[in-house]
Amino acid sequence: MSIRRLPVYILLDTSGSMRGEPIHSVNAGLQSMFSALRQDPYALETVHLSIITFDVEAREYLPLTPLDAIRLDDIRAPDSGATFLGAALELLIRCVDRDVRKSTPDSRGDWRPLLFVMTDGSPSDLHTFRQTIPEIRRRDFGSIVACAAGPKARQDYLRELTAQVIALDTLDAAAFAGFFKWVSASVAVGSGHAGTGDADALPPLPSEIQL
Amino acid sequence: MAKVVTCRTVDGQTIAFVDEIIGSGAMKDVYFSPDRSYVVAFYKSPQDDLTRERLQMIAGRYRESIFEQIGGDYWRNLFCWPTAILEHEGRLGLVAPAYPGHFFFAHGSRNHDMLGIRGKEKQGKWFATASLRNRFIDPRELGDWRGHLFVCLRLARAVRRLHMAGLAHSDLSYRNVLIDPSEGWACVIDIDGLVVPGKYPPDVVGTPDFIAPEVVMTSHLARDDPARRLPQRETDLHALAVLIYLYLLYRHPLRGGKIHDPDDPQRDERLAMGEGALFIEDPHDPCNRIRRSDVRLTDLPWADTDRLPFTLTGPYLAPLFRQAFVEGLHDPAQRPSANDWETALIKTLDLLLPCPGSRCEQKWYVFDNSTQPCCPFCGTPFPGLLPVLNFYSSRQAGQFRTDHHRLLVWPGQSLFLWHANSLIAPNEKLAETQQMPVGQFVFDEGCWSLVNARLPDLMDLATQTPVPLGGRLALSDGQRILLSREDGGRLVVVQMIESK
Repeated sequence: MSIRRLPVYILLDTSGSMRGEPIHSVNAGLQSMFSALRQDPYALETVHLSIITFDVEAREYLPLTPLDAIRLDDIRAPDSGATFLGAALELLIRCVDRDVRKSTPDSRGDWRPLLFVMTDGSPSDLHTFRQTIPEIRRRDFGSIVACAAGPKARQDYLRELTAQVIALDTLDAAAFAGFFKWVSASVAVGSGHAGTGDADALPPLPSEIQL
Repeated sequence: MAKVVTCRTVDGQTIAFVDEIIGSGAMKDVYFSPDRSYVVAFYKSPQDDLTRERLQMIAGRYRESIFEQIGGDYWRNLFCWPTAILEHEGRLGLVAPAYPGHFFFAHGSRNHDMLGIRGKEKQGKWFATASLRNRFIDPRELGDWRGHLFVCLRLARAVRRLHMAGLAHSDLSYRNVLIDPSEGWACVIDIDGLVVPGKYPPDVVGTPDFIAPEVVMTSHLARDDPARRLPQRETDLHALAVLIYLYLLYRHPLRGGKIHDPDDPQRDERLAMGEGALFIEDPHDPCNRIRRSDVRLTDLPWADTDRLPFTLTGPYLAPLFRQAFVEGLHDPAQRPSANDWETALIKTLDLLLPCPGSRCEQKWYVFDNSTQPCCPFCGTPFPGLLPVLNFYSSRQAGQFRTDHHRLLVWPGQSLFLWHANSLIAPNEKLAETQQMPVGQFVFDEGCWSLVNARLPDLMDLATQTPVPLGGRLALSDGQRILLSREDGGRLVVVQMIESK
């Protein structure tokens, strides 16, 4: 018994530029990701998911919740505003420190958490962003994947956070659907295969996304 | 409408598929034939010559050696075996039968299919985890405990057949076995990973939960390192034992409370499944027992090994679990063979009692040799008169020795040829005429009797009275009954239990 939880954190850019079709596509993508994951018995047993959104501030939109208990309202984007990715990372660290259970000699802790970050721009709080990265590294994530969505997303900043950066050419429904499908497959693989030693292996990328 | 593509297999058959992916795994994209009777699966990436050659042998020689023999049709229900390979637009593909309808959820999950899994494949994991069963799966999908024993029997039989042919599956897991507990079916899929010992190196290590400890322990070594242990027959046997334990007890035999490394979950997992693997019900070492503090409410009662210990699986299966998870856990040569499991499962099915408890989810349990039998799952006692037939068979004229095989008599129970003769086993070799009952048990006016349907030699030995076809023999305690005078013919000693 004593099942390990697999904590999954998703950081979503909700800055002004995401307003309109992009944020609708993100919401649709999230919903189909949840239903796909719920149909996977491995994920259903282990995955706990948290969503942090960031624009002019960072919010814990969905606290770490088991898959089957997630009821999500649509995420909204404000009319305009900055992209405080650094603040989001700071909030993430607080959440991880609070939520992720370490093993003790008497109780089984969680798997190393997974982190997915999606942004369509670049961090407005670059100083905080850069200062937080070493702290993120100390949290020992199982894997960190960043998604640079659309033409204005700055991949170079994201590469300071992780070597795994994928780019979406456009901010439309097909692109986000593809991205969340891939996130869902990665999480499913993580929940089924965690621990074999090849936990870093991610599934092949869909054709809509270019590396 | 997607277009239909027609092409030729390597051996020249014409096949067709609808150009629309119906499923996609890590390795392959799958397409339906226009009539949906078979599927075509194309590898996503180019495959080397060795793989091509291996697939050709699996779809060719090995398939023929199993299917194109007397009784070969029997295996069509137990394997989804590739029938041909093909090449189309530079992609390597294989043709395989579509899964039968009973391997797709008819009802799916609870609360009007809250998970949306109706129509999806019945992956074994759904049925092998107490909390998934308790929280999500529609009770109509769950079947009863007897159905689960049949699932295990068919699975053991399929693995036995592979091993008899010198093959090993190499990746047995609940992903690669579809099951239907409501009807007791199991079907081994993903046959394309088959390994032939000494011939083709396995290209997988297996699926977590099912990888044998010696493979986990050496998986960090290079493939050609002499100390590296790769999947083979003995690792299949570990996976088979784990599957049977999971399908009967809905908990994993090695996932207990012991923490091997509090700082690194990956390493902790590797040790728990490898070097430090320990049976959660080990009779000598209790340190990996499931801890109450780790158990979720929805894991109960299955997580409580004191309440539902593995010994409830009875006198034939429990010793095999001990052999697989105590003696054989770190000593592959000691693991029970698929044939051992098959035989034990057949005998266990004869030892089942129906539970009269109207709320009992398992509905069947193994008789524990008690004079006051009681369902271990729900606690309901067995009511009334219960005849137990103990089988003896003759190895030399006039001398009968116990077969350690019993049949319990309950309303609706029948006697079959494989009970009357020790040389006959209920497996793929049975002809259709051999599958008919040879006797029927009836309960009338407070008395159990055996109605002779097809036993020409049936006789009560105390009175030396033959029982003609169509005749009735009342059963009583201590009675000895001859079932057959043929070679391997059996004698029965009746014990009568009267529960209070």
